[in-house]
Amino acid sequence: MQLSPEQDIRALLNEAFHSRRFLVTMFVLVNAALLAGGTLWPKAYTASTSIIVDERTIIQPLMQGAAVATDALDRSRNAREVIFGRKIMDVVLEYGGWLKTQPGVEEREGLTESIKKRTLITTVGKNILRIEYKDSEPERAFRVTEKFAELFIQESIAAKAAESRAAFDFIDKQTQEYQDKLVRAEGELKELRSESLDSNVGSESEITARLNDLRSRIDTTQQELREAEVTESSLERQASGEAESTTDLLREGQFRTRIGELESKLDTLRLSYHDTHPDIVQVKQQIQALTENINAERARREQTRRSGKSNESAVNNPVYQQMRRDQSQNQSQIDALTARLADLKRQLQDQLSRGKRMHSGDARLAELTRDYQINRDIYQDLLRRRENARVSMNMDRERQGLTFKIQEPASLPLAPSGLRFWHFVIMGLVLGVLLPIALLYARLRLDPRIRTGSAVVVPNKLPIVAVVPHLWTPAEVKGLRSELVFLSLVVATTIGASAALSAMHVLKVL
Amino acid sequence: MSKIEKALNRAREAGLQVVPLSDSASRNPAGTAVVAQRTVHPETIPQMAKNEVRMLGETDLVQRGIIRPQQGEEPALQVIRELRTKIVQLSRGQNAVTLVTSVTKGCGGSFIARNLGAAFALDVGKTALLIDCNLADPSVHELLRSATAPGLTDYLENPSLDLKDIIHPLGIARFRLIPAGKRSETAEELFTSRKMKQLMDTVRERYPERFIVMDGPPMSRIADIRILSELADFVLVVAGYGRTTNTQIAKCLGAIGEKKLLGLVFNEEPRIPRIR
Repeated sequence: MQLSPEQDIRALLNEAFHSRRFLVTMFVLVNAALLAGGTLWPKAYTASTSIIVDERTIIQPLMQGAAVATDALDRSRNAREVIFGRKIMDVVLEYGGWLKTQPGVEEREGLTESIKKRTLITTVGKNILRIEYKDSEPERAFRVTEKFAELFIQESIAAKAAESRAAFDFIDKQTQEYQDKLVRAEGELKELRSESLDSNVGSESEITARLNDLRSRIDTTQQELREAEVTESSLERQASGEAESTTDLLREGQFRTRIGELESKLDTLRLSYHDTHPDIVQVKQQIQALTENINAERARREQTRRSGKSNESAVNNPVYQQMRRDQSQNQSQIDALTARLADLKRQLQDQLSRGKRMHSGDARLAELTRDYQINRDIYQDLLRRRENARVSMNMDRERQGLTFKIQEPASLPLAPSGLRFWHFVIMGLVLGVLLPIALLYARLRLDPRIRTGSAVVVPNKLPIVAVVPHLWTPAEVKGLRSELVFLSLVVATTIGASAALSAMHVLKVL
Repeated sequence: MSKIEKALNRAREAGLQVVPLSDSASRNPAGTAVVAQRTVHPETIPQMAKNEVRMLGETDLVQRGIIRPQQGEEPALQVIRELRTKIVQLSRGQNAVTLVTSVTKGCGGSFIARNLGAAFALDVGKTALLIDCNLADPSVHELLRSATAPGLTDYLENPSLDLKDIIHPLGIARFRLIPAGKRSETAEELFTSRKMKQLMDTVRERYPERFIVMDGPPMSRIADIRILSELADFVLVVAGYGRTTNTQIAKCLGAIGEKKLLGLVFNEEPRIPRIR
């Protein structure tokens, strides 16, 4: 239904008049409820303190880069963690006198939670931390706030000192470890060096030169040996062709000449005679005898040569003798060269194995040296860091790193904060009027039952022929009059009671 | 001596002036203002006035929730008077039977019915008859001194009863009523009876200046409303303040012929009275 504002107000007025008792009852109830609320509402006193957290000190520029300052991001969250920690809360519980009644564990937990709820920690700007605490007693609000600030500063400084102490200890431990590593690496290096004394610098080129020398000498020796061997075989060949002694050969020659002569005589005889001719047979026998002599001579010569005894009768061949001397000399030279070659080869092997040994030693040395250098660098770095940490630690110990300064100390709150009694009184008066009217309006809007003629919406355009108001009888009017008087009195009494209570609150009677 | 002569004699004895009428049967021409027809059938009105048992005092009227001319500027009085005038205008010089029914019980249908009757009776040229047709929850008998006075059901069920036996004077000039009578099991069926129809015809036709108001049951009794609306010329539907919804109204209207439906009366609107 769509009503014009005028109709709306008219309907609301009618409805308000119709439900006048409801309106007054609601007014009284709302006022009573809010007055009761106002009386029971705990008075809250708020004390606050602000702390400047300053990290920039005189020392900082001096220690630039050496000491590391604690990061101050989200300071209020850190502060909340610190302040709401069990340690500080326990101290505060004790200090605030909450433990006098010997509360149980659960009760204690509840107390802690309620203190936490009443404490507000905020950051103002970048470096100012504000702690606000609300309590029903002004004295306690002030003391607890003060204690919070004190404990927070104490705890923060202690935490920071512990942190830098831990950092120093860690770096110190690391430094020790690296020192040990370095000492070990040095030991290994020393051992390796003493193991291969020859593995010193420059030995590689020396070995190479030596190897080259040995190789060229081997080549030369082999050449000489080959030459000697060629000479040997040549002398051998020549010697075999030369008669050992001239005599023997002479006698044999004579026999051979005689045989020749006899053979030619035989041939001539054969021309004239048969083989059976005595001359021929004689000649043949002579040849036979001569051949046997030759053989005997040869056998004797062989025997002589074998026995080495010179036949007296035999005259030594000088050429042969010369050749035998040369041959002997050559032989001894060959022997000397062979021996030298073997020695050179052995030396070459030695040098090669030495070279190999030297290379593997180099690799190990390089590895050890590298380890050593790395360890040394890290160690030096750690030493530097340890000193930085030591300075940081000392700074924190001397309370130079992070300074807390109470900028605004907590003060004793004189007036309660939050909702006051007169707030409730005013709220009661306003709500006492508005709430029932709003309820009536809601009923007017939401209730489908018709409360004004204009709201009738029916098909067939049924006309409203009459809107009959209530017929007031004189008795009713009289009753209404006294009712209105009574209701006005009730409203007046309510307002009066509110005013009286407010006055009592102002005069601190209650 | 006829009834009328007797009545005239009694009126003369009572000191009332009887004006003779040249054409007593003439009807008011259509279209003329009905309110001006005070002289129509003047002979019946003094007779009715004579029959009043005892005039109700202001206190009695107040107690019975009935308007009275002394109220002057009372808004309810004004509104009901306007309603009466509207019906008189619409009936065009004839008398009319108006059925008053509530949308739901408690909307004040009976209040409107009795006050509408009273409003007709305020006019000295008219008489009013209120018939209690709300047999389930009758209220008209409360206006009478005797609660056991014979009424509609008695008349319909008992052939020996005469019509005059159930028409009771109330103590308001020109205002009579027929109470519901004793409770009857077959009360609703009585409305469809021929005797009921005859009754209605009789009361309507006997006195042309008599306006009849039927105090009907609420519209939830839809069958009764259907029958009663057939007997009536106009139907007024009463909706109570804060009691009925649009849906309820729309649902009930289907039972009533559109032509007879006079409109909706919005009753009991809370209005701050003038407190002197």
